[in-house]
Amino acid sequence: MAKKQEVYQYASLKDRFRVEWKIFALAYVFILIADNIGQIKIPVGKGMFILFPIFYAIILGVLSGPQVLKIVENKHVKAASKLVVVGICPFIAKLGITAGANIDVILDAGPALLLHGFGNLLGPLLALPIAILLGMKRESVGACHSINREYHMALVNNIYGPDSAEARGSLSIYIVGGMVGTIYFGLMASVIGMTGLFHPQALGMASGVGAGIMMASASASLCAIYPEWADTISTLASVGETMAGITGIYITMFLAIPMTDKLYKILEPKLSKFALKSKNEEETQV
Amino acid sequence: MRYIEWFVLFCLGACGTALANFIGYGVSFMDSIPGLLVLLVISMIAVALVKLLPLKLPIVAYCSIIGLLVASPISPVRDFVIQVASNINFTAPFTMVGAFAGLAISDQLKTFIKQGWKILIVGIFVMTGTFLGSCIWDQLLLTVAGAI
Repeated sequence: MAKKQEVYQYASLKDRFRVEWKIFALAYVFILIADNIGQIKIPVGKGMFILFPIFYAIILGVLSGPQVLKIVENKHVKAASKLVVVGICPFIAKLGITAGANIDVILDAGPALLLHGFGNLLGPLLALPIAILLGMKRESVGACHSINREYHMALVNNIYGPDSAEARGSLSIYIVGGMVGTIYFGLMASVIGMTGLFHPQALGMASGVGAGIMMASASASLCAIYPEWADTISTLASVGETMAGITGIYITMFLAIPMTDKLYKILEPKLSKFALKSKNEEETQV
Repeated sequence: MRYIEWFVLFCLGACGTALANFIGYGVSFMDSIPGLLVLLVISMIAVALVKLLPLKLPIVAYCSIIGLLVASPISPVRDFVIQVASNINFTAPFTMVGAFAGLAISDQLKTFIKQGWKILIVGIFVMTGTFLGSCIWDQLLLTVAGAI
């Protein structure tokens, strides 16, 4: 079997370090600041919003970028996006260990885990009518079919073409997800968790939506709300996330995209007369 | 990336995790080291499997599966792994991920702002629907499976 030769981005480790030392130095500074602030609990009604150090780290990161404080340049931005996976690997390994330690929780959930990924399909059902009412056209199909992480975006590009309206919509939500997704998932999980409608086990499993960082944020909030269920929640979040990662690509390809496309064809003629008229198309441009 | 690059980057990442674990949770560096080494070894095995196996699974899937296996009852090192990993607080490695993720999207800030409020609303609905749908569906599945 001919194995494709891996192309190395840097000539040597030294070369890599020459670019990336700054990113690590900044990351350590952000950790110093963010973890010193620690968790902040804001009481809201009966429950609370929990702010985690990762939220401050994300905000500090965005502010350091080339468009605000200009501490880092574009080459650092590119390098940092490759480093996310370096940071997330040990984290996922740690969750895997928690899962292994609580293997009985997984065995209990058993077949439920195999089917877990289908719940995501409520996303397009809820968002597509809103997108059409806001005046979006075909880009709403790309935007609404999923939470639009890298692999979803790749599929949309593949099916509709990289220049399509659908791909533009997908990229828009990808950017929104990157900017606010982690923080939003943490806050949303606190709110939905506190309604008491769902069992902590279901909440934990549901955190695995197919985006590691969003899963982590949601499950961290849930563990803070239900400390006595913390191990169970992180176990199911981790296994749910792994399942969603494996089944997600097929669910997106064979169900989410065709379904959203079909739904658009049904809803658009009915809803577009009520839609907001945009003065120009600027909000759909990326 | 070469093995040595992954290795050095993981070590630098582990320093960040140790720092967060110390500042945020008061766990000393010495107490963090064994757990960090275990996580490092698992991550390196995952890197090797991605390079060697023809199966196209994301690296995080391997990390999760290996972590699960070494801590499961079939593993001879189960007790050791669980014990040392328990010193690493679950959100400690997370601050560093946030730092990288924040830097990685920092060149999209203007695009994000320019896209306007409509895209933000649609994004919020997609995320809410996805999570809420999962909650409802998983609650149903777990009830049917008799787990809850």
